[in-house]
Amino acid sequence: MNVQVENHDKVLVAKVEGRVDSSNSQDFERQLQGAIGEDVQAVVIDLGQLAYISSAGLRVVLLVAKTLGQRNVSISLCALSDPVQSVFEISGFNRIIQIYDSQADALAAAG
Amino acid sequence: MSATLHLRVPNRIEELPGVSEAVEALGSEEGWAQDTTYAIVLGLEEVATNVVRHGGGQPGSSEIEIEVTSSDDEVRIEVRDGGRAFDPFHEAPEPDLDARVEERKIGGLGVHFVKVLMDETSYSREGGRNHVTMVKRRS
Repeated sequence: MNVQVENHDKVLVAKVEGRVDSSNSQDFERQLQGAIGEDVQAVVIDLGQLAYISSAGLRVVLLVAKTLGQRNVSISLCALSDPVQSVFEISGFNRIIQIYDSQADALAAAG
Repeated sequence: MSATLHLRVPNRIEELPGVSEAVEALGSEEGWAQDTTYAIVLGLEEVATNVVRHGGGQPGSSEIEIEVTSSDDEVRIEVRDGGRAFDPFHEAPEPDLDARVEERKIGGLGVHFVKVLMDETSYSREGGRNHVTMVKRRS
């Protein structure tokens, strides 16, 4: 698992690669929280290269969404593969976090 | 045709990625569909994580026994452990899927995945051991 960060003006894009499971979710949380600076206005989490996520990883996404919500920073997800998309749907997270088909769509909405 | 994977691993979270890899290799040999493999790897990780976190013993102090049997029409996953009695399908909290982001709690999500993604689930306590069975029909 790896988190790569790009800044698009005040929008931070975090690209997550690999697998997030119960063995590395704490590292995932550290990388993601560490990547989000004070002056961002929106965060887009690009899951296009995420092969697998379990409830341990979803817990981190929810924690980050809560933290950002308290700071009035918007958060969205994009480019989910079909199996990852279905895990977000089963969890109900697709109803509380915006999900876009592509990073371009997410950036257009965030900008 | 059927094939069985039999694993015994110490009750430590760090052991679980190796279990996932072994199950994916079985799925690849047996030609499981991509979403079937995802569901089985996820179900097993969630159940085994619960055993490690809620079983009560020190990490590494006992073993989790895993058996995955792949046949033409279904995959049967059995997990046995010697931790304290815990029926994940009735004792884990139900997630509130309609809560707003600020109010949403995370508990119970793993078991919820198992219930939704598996076709059959059961729990029994046999000879002082927990026994969880999950069945996924092949699509």
